[in-house]
Amino acid sequence: MIHWMAYAAFAIVLWGVCGLFMKLGTNRVSARSMVIWVTAGFLVLLPFMWRFTTLAGLSKYVISVGLIAGFVNGLGNWAVFACLEKGAKASVAIPLTALYPLFTVILATGFLKERPSSLQWLGIALALAGGAMLSYEPAVADVTQEERAQCAQ
Amino acid sequence: MRTDRSHFPVWLWYALLCIFWWGLWGFLSKIGSVSANPLQMQILFTLGMLPVAVGMLLQMRWKLDRNVGGATYGILSGVATGLGTLGYYAALHEQDASVVTPITGLFPLLTVVLAFIVLRERLNKVQVGGIVLALASIVVLSI
Repeated sequence: MIHWMAYAAFAIVLWGVCGLFMKLGTNRVSARSMVIWVTAGFLVLLPFMWRFTTLAGLSKYVISVGLIAGFVNGLGNWAVFACLEKGAKASVAIPLTALYPLFTVILATGFLKERPSSLQWLGIALALAGGAMLSYEPAVADVTQEERAQCAQ
Repeated sequence: MRTDRSHFPVWLWYALLCIFWWGLWGFLSKIGSVSANPLQMQILFTLGMLPVAVGMLLQMRWKLDRNVGGATYGILSGVATGLGTLGYYAALHEQDASVVTPITGLFPLLTVVLAFIVLRERLNKVQVGGIVLALASIVVLSI
């Protein structure tokens, strides 16, 4: 059986590549338009996935959970843009929203009775801090000041 | 930006709302992944996301930027995200959401490294610290 970390690594690699495409794409279209084009990309995959599976056999409960999962993810995307439009600095807002797994941890330990080991708690804490720090991009003004300081040296 | 210190900034509400929605997504994904396979979950995820995308299009009054390069990168992003999400659901099927979600939340690790290599963007000290913590967490959670 494939180790779960291999699946997680697969997600990290493809989501990481997606981040690069997003950077390249938002240089050409608005961030909101980007969300729509990304959704179009999801739709491109649909026919291929239908070839290999159907929803037959799934209970109404599981179907509802899956649909709501997609819906709330979309709401999260909307909230990021609303946040930036309301005056948030991207250098603050993006690392902050990168802490979303913390809420998943709270829900999973609270409602699904998941009990991570001490070592896993350490890994979770490192991952949360690392994820937030990786998402940090200094504001343009900060970069300019930094570059000025380096030029002065 | 709102400067009145007596009020909670509006943007912070939206940031917290985002954490709430995405955090809930991770939680619901775990519940769904117990019974549904990754392909089924991704189909449902896409269908569930459509109403929000349509809502955003309406909010934009259907004024969608149609730059070919931007649209291509957007669609490629969607394909890459969709395929990556299959891995996320497969990992959730095997392991707890409280362990998998923080690990997959490290995807900016690759974005930062690729941006450094491909786009020649500079890494800041915070990001370098983040890379160290991210790698340490992967090692710790692999044990």
